[in-house]
Amino acid sequence: MVSPLILLPGDEIPSEYLPSTNSAPLRLGAGLRLLSQPSSNPSTPPSHVISATQSALLSTDTKRNAVSLLSTPNRRYIPTPGDLVIAQIHHSSPDYFHCMVTPQAPQAMLGQLSFEGATKKTRPMLKQGDLVYARVLSIGLGAGAEVELTCVNPATGRAEPGGLGPLTGGMVFDVSTGLAARLIKASSSSAEQQDGVAGLVVLDELGKKLEKAGGFEIAVGRNGKVWVDCANGGDSAIKATVAIGRCLSTIDEHELSPTDQRKLVTRILREMKIES
Amino acid sequence: MVGPTASLTPLSRADGSASYQCPSTGSNILGSVNAPIELPGRRDALRPEDATVEVFVKPGTAPGGVGERYVEGIIKNMLTKLILGREKGYARRGVVITLAIVGGESVGRGDSYLTLLPALLHTALLALLSASVPLSMTFSATVLAVDASGKITREPSPKEAATATSLHVFAFSSNGHLLLSESQGPFEFKTWENVHQRALAICHGTLARSSDGDVAMAEDVDGQPLEGALREVVEDKIHLDYAWKIDAP
Amino acid sequence: MNKEAPLSIAERDFILNALREDVRLDGREADQFRPLNVSFGEEYGHVKIQLGKTSLIVRISSEVTKPHDDRPFDGIFTIALELTAMGSPAWENGRQGDLESYVSNVLDRVIRHSNALDTESLCVLKGVSCWSIRADVHITDYDGNLIDAACIGIMAGLQHFRRPDAVVKDGQVIVYGVDERVPVALNITHKPLSITFHTFDEGKRVILDATRKEEQASEADVLIGLNNAGDVCYISKFSGFPVDAMVFVNKSSVALEKVKEINNIIDKALQADLTKRAKTALVEESRAANDR
Repeated sequence: MVSPLILLPGDEIPSEYLPSTNSAPLRLGAGLRLLSQPSSNPSTPPSHVISATQSALLSTDTKRNAVSLLSTPNRRYIPTPGDLVIAQIHHSSPDYFHCMVTPQAPQAMLGQLSFEGATKKTRPMLKQGDLVYARVLSIGLGAGAEVELTCVNPATGRAEPGGLGPLTGGMVFDVSTGLAARLIKASSSSAEQQDGVAGLVVLDELGKKLEKAGGFEIAVGRNGKVWVDCANGGDSAIKATVAIGRCLSTIDEHELSPTDQRKLVTRILREMKIES
Repeated sequence: MVGPTASLTPLSRADGSASYQCPSTGSNILGSVNAPIELPGRRDALRPEDATVEVFVKPGTAPGGVGERYVEGIIKNMLTKLILGREKGYARRGVVITLAIVGGESVGRGDSYLTLLPALLHTALLALLSASVPLSMTFSATVLAVDASGKITREPSPKEAATATSLHVFAFSSNGHLLLSESQGPFEFKTWENVHQRALAICHGTLARSSDGDVAMAEDVDGQPLEGALREVVEDKIHLDYAWKIDAP
Repeated sequence: MNKEAPLSIAERDFILNALREDVRLDGREADQFRPLNVSFGEEYGHVKIQLGKTSLIVRISSEVTKPHDDRPFDGIFTIALELTAMGSPAWENGRQGDLESYVSNVLDRVIRHSNALDTESLCVLKGVSCWSIRADVHITDYDGNLIDAACIGIMAGLQHFRRPDAVVKDGQVIVYGVDERVPVALNITHKPLSITFHTFDEGKRVILDATRKEEQASEADVLIGLNNAGDVCYISKFSGFPVDAMVFVNKSSVALEKVKEINNIIDKALQADLTKRAKTALVEESRAANDR
């Protein structure tokens, strides 16, 4: 294991940090670019270097033969195909719902029929301010390209994986894009680990403590939005939802160890007077 | 020589932010970057494949005027060359850089902004890094004053700047190339060469310095090169943000 | 643009339903302010206000200028507030929006028109020269309740500021440097602050110090500006749903309590800063004595 490497724009990745185990082509993540350096001797081919364009921590995946950058967690979300996002309907046109993925950014398009089992007659009637859990289908090419979203898997026609579609009720909380990525990583891995995945135990802990209160449903969007619903919570549904939101925003502001995350959950649930 | 103090991402609403304080000039700048965002109007018509960079300098205790617009132009021209505006998600979008002078003496109406320019540039760079705007490289900058006797003062205080014969601002890229040279006042070409050498030494340290006898002296005076100081600020912040990953067993 | 992105229906409904159960998103009571921190910079009149996630910097500055022709005995006091893209990505640089003119107007009325700063004391020589005091408000982070936070910042700044001493000698105005003569504090006649309430559920729920999302979800706002003595200097219901007149009556006593509380916080911060300054001055004096 090599020591962690932090890069700044223009820095080259030293070759010992690149995975070199197999012959598959190296996959470069966002923020990295390949530059060729013309060699002084015209007969030899130019050499290549990989350099960073953002300040970030280098992350390598030897299994997939990939290198990527983990850049600042407070950054603005930029749509990338395959990402799960929580979008808000802005208005509707005959063929599309026009949605907001990030504020002060152009709207994304969601086909009126891009829902599981949707036909002209059964498509959902969404209005301004409604929320959908969607996947980024494409971001288009060139200037003026539009981002397209979908609520079905194009291969299967189903809303899986991830339970895509309209989100009704509940509450949305804003978190940083860095925390959103960690939450997705933590909730998508099934392995039960003592210290959690991506350093997060907060969701597991809340899940255990709120089981008696009816549990909760959660959807995390890469665009820094977390939707939470305690539909079975009865009288304490609102308090439990607020408690989850407060736990998430505290963890976003202060880096907390797994032990401190557990303490935080206990403290906030006590403050909100929720029995666990 | 006391180096600058800076912090990354002190604000929560803006996409990226930085604060920067230079003890010798007394300047204290807060900067924010919002990117990539949709710009109202049709400001993108000229170069549809590229991002539009906007710089706004807000003086601390006076309304903005020509001095601010002029320095905004210098900063914008330099940063436009570093920002990779054709990367994914940036074409036709805006990179909005806001720099507020929140401490130190104000620049009088119509006076030159040269003494503040390096601090403004550093703040803008750190805020861009905080917002993860793609850049081709980083840079460091400094300002030097030359008085009537030919003595060079690094990062002069407002009083020292007022009595100087000429003022020079230099910015060097992370690989040591000259990116920006702004001068004011009468000077000879030899003077310019001298201040250029000194500025390179301040920004990049001894490695880039010529090998005459004064080297050891100059190193003591200038302390840690600026390039390294800025790098440390960014590395410390990234280390803190990813402590959960770096410190994980 | 100059407009925050609209809330989703889910957020709007949830904030309202939670308030019906007396629950706010950050766990506060309806009549509770967010944590307030007032700190001062090295220069006189440099204040940093942090109210929850809303933060701003106020800088007070002074210069000698010519008084307005119609008020030869008065000095000049201006409050300059400009919303930049730093405070919120929704604000556009260099373009005045509705919020900016509204907030500037309210600040003018609460602080300037109530004569919190005695402008007559700023006169140096009748009709010839006077002090012009300028308060620059830099909004650095916007998460609701801009007006109350800006009022706190400006009032703290005015009380902290010291202007250079100036005298008239043989018809000539002489301004002394800060190191020549002890600078002079401004003449503050009273300490007004504004307290903003937001109403929900047809006026049945009233909260103060709303966050950005609460402001967006609310029906109307009620603003009361008053000082420690309970003198009301500004009262407004600017927009939105009608509000029962009893809300004004009931909430002015809450507002008075809050104004006293906040003025107390400002006083304590001022005292702490003065003590700190006196200590460093003492250290410097003894160092100078040692050098001699």
